[in-house]
Amino acid sequence: MGFDYNSLLAFIIFGVTIGVVYGIVALGISLIYSGLDIVHFAHGEMYMFGAFFGLVLAHNVGVPYPIALIGAMVLTALLGMAVERVFYRRLTRAGGGYTVAGMGMIICGFGMSVALVNVAYFIWGAEAEPFRANLDYIPRLSFPGDIEVPESYVLTAIISVALMAALHYFLRHTKTGLAVRAVAHNKDIAYLMGINVPLMISLIFGLACGLGAAAGVLIGPMQSVQVEMGYLMLMKAFAAAVVGGFGSLPGAIIGGIMVGVFENLGAAYISASHKDIYAFLLLILVLMFKPSGLLGVDAKVKA
Amino acid sequence: MLQINDVHAGYGNLKILRGVNMQVPTGGIVTLLGGNGTGKSTLLKAVSGLIPLMEGEVLFDGVGLSGMKPHERMRLGLVQVTQAKEAYPAMTVEENLVLGAYTRRDRAAAAVDLERVYEFFPVLRERRKQLSGTLSGGEVQMLVIGRGLMAKPKMLMLDEPSAALAPKVVLEIFSNINRIAKTGVTILVVEQNVRMALILAQYGYIIRDGVIMMEGEAKKLISDPAVKESFLGGSVANSSKALRK
Repeated sequence: MGFDYNSLLAFIIFGVTIGVVYGIVALGISLIYSGLDIVHFAHGEMYMFGAFFGLVLAHNVGVPYPIALIGAMVLTALLGMAVERVFYRRLTRAGGGYTVAGMGMIICGFGMSVALVNVAYFIWGAEAEPFRANLDYIPRLSFPGDIEVPESYVLTAIISVALMAALHYFLRHTKTGLAVRAVAHNKDIAYLMGINVPLMISLIFGLACGLGAAAGVLIGPMQSVQVEMGYLMLMKAFAAAVVGGFGSLPGAIIGGIMVGVFENLGAAYISASHKDIYAFLLLILVLMFKPSGLLGVDAKVKA
Repeated sequence: MLQINDVHAGYGNLKILRGVNMQVPTGGIVTLLGGNGTGKSTLLKAVSGLIPLMEGEVLFDGVGLSGMKPHERMRLGLVQVTQAKEAYPAMTVEENLVLGAYTRRDRAAAAVDLERVYEFFPVLRERRKQLSGTLSGGEVQMLVIGRGLMAKPKMLMLDEPSAALAPKVVLEIFSNINRIAKTGVTILVVEQNVRMALILAQYGYIIRDGVIMMEGEAKKLISDPAVKESFLGGSVANSSKALRK
């Protein structure tokens, strides 16, 4: 029996598609880390809330899928901004800078994660809900060798890439994006440039949570939506962020794709029942040979 | 233009400034001198609003600044030029300059000012697409001054513009500051390089342990035996000629 290159190609295509979703969650984590110097442990819950907001909008309100996606992003961004403003900012120096938040911030993040999961239990219950999205207008992609890529995967790839491009454009080519990068580098100097730093911090947090929500709505139609879905995504996205180099935005995406492909290949050729282990195997391998991650940046030139 | 009345400030429980009084008249160049750890930088932070005052008040153009955030003070035209090491190394020279005009709404005028800064510092135009982390010490100092000018300041506060620069470069930077002052911008220079600062300025304050120890006309301070003894060395005359040239 010869090696089946078609199925290898299929596994890679699916791996990349899932990987870009890990990538956009990792992008949010990296954005918060490079902007605010905090490691956000409740980010998986932003992803979960995003998925539920999308579900409610699509099923209960009945808006089309793209509108549900945008709506979920906006609602989650607002939720994230509120959480940051009310809970996290108090823990940081005089409510302005995030320079030394330390252990308190990490514990607060974990606590927030548990609290948000329980709020979600209270609202939506423990049942996994299928996300039915009408995606008939998206073409199926066919690759040579009878590989068919379902609509939801095509859509996921397109939207993820569009979001990344939009974020890149925003950060590199707009004045507000420039201000975000300035805040990420040094808050005191950003103040002296006349930048409204607290506002930018809210903006960074909102953007990051909005990206997490987009991932939730994109994953929804592939898997089902469930209250506990955030943990695993957080772990995978962390793995992706670290593999790519923590704090590096391009690194987050590359790390995400690597994690996605690696775990799909592992599931296919080694053992499908240990699917979730491969991300961490990759993480350990990368950390052994390049501890700063693939695109690890000097702390001074982040963002 | 700037009036500092009995200012006490510090970090947490640590009080650094213990009753500082200073005045910077409109259109003048004033210098604040002192060694490391005497409270110079703390005073700048208190004036630009990065740390709160414990006591006292700061008036700019007759307006009390208490309770105003740094970006609000900047909109009034009170602009602090950061130390040179505080350019944004991962941004290009031009991005740094554009950031200086962040608070301004008048895009067209800001573009004109960008040209003016490039005329002022031609080397910045040559390097405008370069990351500012790749510039030399003197070039970065020009960059942060240029960035300050982009904010259309009424008053510029400079934090040790001579730090870590070769004497020849210091001379160039200081003559540029002199040129800026001639365009009508009020200047406060915080310095450790006493001789150069006193040649440039009309009036000087000397701070030690968080209080103003001595003040007076720059010409008098420069020849004051007490100042001479504590700070100065070498001949003043040569630099003075070179600076005015």
